[in-house]
Amino acid sequence: MPETDQYYVERCLDGHPDDFRYLVRSYQSVLLAHLAGKLGNKDKAEEAAQESFVRAYFGLDRVKKPESFFSWLLGIADRVAKEHHRREQLRRQREAIRSFSEEAPSPELSQDYALESAIGDLPEAYRQVILLRYYGGHSCNQIAAKLDMPLGTVTKTLSRAYAMLRESLQQHERSEVYEV
Amino acid sequence: MNCAEYKELLVAYIEGLLDETEKRSVAQHLRDCAVCRAELKETSNLCSRLVNNGKNLAQTNLEDVVLERIIREQNVRLKTASKIGASLKIRRIIMKSRITRFAAAAAIIVATVFGLHLFNPFRATLTFADVIEPILKARTVVLDFVVGSEETGPVMHDIVVGSRIRRTISNMDTIMVIDLDKGKMLTLDPPSKGAAYVDIQGPLREGTRNLIEFVRNAVIRVKDRPDIPVQELGQREIDGRKAIGFLVRGHNEQITIWADSRKATPIRIEMLLGQTLYIIKNIKFDVPVDETLVSMEPPAGYTLSDKQFDMTQFTEQDFITVLRLWAEHLLGGSFPQSLTVGDLMSLTPQMGEKIGQLNISDEEKTQLGMAMGRGFVFFQQLDPTGVTWHYAGSGVKLGEADKAIFWYQPKGSQTYRVIYGDLSVKDVAPGDLPK
Repeated sequence: MPETDQYYVERCLDGHPDDFRYLVRSYQSVLLAHLAGKLGNKDKAEEAAQESFVRAYFGLDRVKKPESFFSWLLGIADRVAKEHHRREQLRRQREAIRSFSEEAPSPELSQDYALESAIGDLPEAYRQVILLRYYGGHSCNQIAAKLDMPLGTVTKTLSRAYAMLRESLQQHERSEVYEV
Repeated sequence: MNCAEYKELLVAYIEGLLDETEKRSVAQHLRDCAVCRAELKETSNLCSRLVNNGKNLAQTNLEDVVLERIIREQNVRLKTASKIGASLKIRRIIMKSRITRFAAAAAIIVATVFGLHLFNPFRATLTFADVIEPILKARTVVLDFVVGSEETGPVMHDIVVGSRIRRTISNMDTIMVIDLDKGKMLTLDPPSKGAAYVDIQGPLREGTRNLIEFVRNAVIRVKDRPDIPVQELGQREIDGRKAIGFLVRGHNEQITIWADSRKATPIRIEMLLGQTLYIIKNIKFDVPVDETLVSMEPPAGYTLSDKQFDMTQFTEQDFITVLRLWAEHLLGGSFPQSLTVGDLMSLTPQMGEKIGQLNISDEEKTQLGMAMGRGFVFFQQLDPTGVTWHYAGSGVKLGEADKAIFWYQPKGSQTYRVIYGDLSVKDVAPGDLPK
């Protein structure tokens, strides 16, 4: 199996920028899921994920703990998402003023926006485990090692996360029914 | 075991993490209990949905596009750097603060030359000692220094004599004479025949090390790094001279050095450091220089200002002054939508004008102007990639104490400094930063 994040972070810092590719490969799906939930649009999530990676690259020498690259990357992605939100709000405000249009056309949602959005609403600890399990391709054992927690805690966290996701998805479905 | 306890085991059951006994026990319970069966089905459905979504997203491959963007981003940053605004004082300061990174890269510049000795076929004619000797022994160096694009960026012309530098910039009238030993700078303004001394002890002096000095330091440091890979670029004609080129790529920098293939002296050095391209060209060693050019006495006919100009420390308070001036005098009490070096640059003249119109004494105006300059340097010294600071002042009004407008992590600090709309400041742990 490939090397650890720490190895690749250090390789990049030692002047092998091409090795950043491996970090992108490990976390692109995780980041996309994370951002799709926040931005509600696949194209925007892709754009934001790219931006997050680029920012991470230029900030690599400021990673305090290379072994926590993943959490650090999520932090960057959160900030990027926030900026996208703000820009989007401004854009809508301007458009509304300019055209007096009643509502901006709804953006193309990603395939399972409800699910991604529910993941986005999970508390941090639960979100990380879901993201790593389903979007980072990690087994429960790998997650336990990565996040330095007992296996039993991983399965319990997953179990609670499932319950929260189901609750939030049901609410979403109910609200859709009312809207129609 | 009761249903609640079995429910706890369901995830481990789905994941295949149970031992044989447990597995059989759960399977048996599922056969008997419809509620738990339903629970399993619901959970499995959710898991499939997650797996499908994961697969769907995994079809997107960002590797190439991200790596391409990293390269493009560097180019964009170059263009931005070439648009650095027109204010004389500010540009001068910015250049100097940027030069701190230049010094860090010097190790690599000389590593290139070092590599020359170790690896390349020209070593029969060029050796490390050959290239370094004139640099170490040179008493004077004359060079042109371009920040940003060679076509549009202003050219800084340096005449270095020992520890003194006479610096002029192509699109400005001002002349600077820097005495690195004393940490003092004499600024001359020919149109008004004005002269002033500026105290630059501290970061500005450190950043303004003259070329000979830091190449010398780098020679010493680089002996520990013979491992830096060097790419040969072959021969090319540079300014009518035959030159051999070498390229060194670092994490956030890329250095190209062209050395005269006959005399073995560097004649052109291009450095991409973080956001900014620096070109040092027309480098000449040991040319005769009229030493009165680097005199720290104002020339005859100049009037020396009695004001004390202090550029020794750059504090958060200076930066807060910039934020206050900006909101109070340019934006009617609101903080700006964004905060970038470019924004600050383009607003500098207006801000200077506003300070000039304030109903305060000339002395106070000068102090305010200096605080503004120091505040800009403070901002410049923060992480250029924006990872350790964040601006959130868009839509916030001056005086709104509950809204954070800016936070940053001082070097070596565990906590962040958060500045609020009323310009108060608090120390905040990373986990407690505003969302």
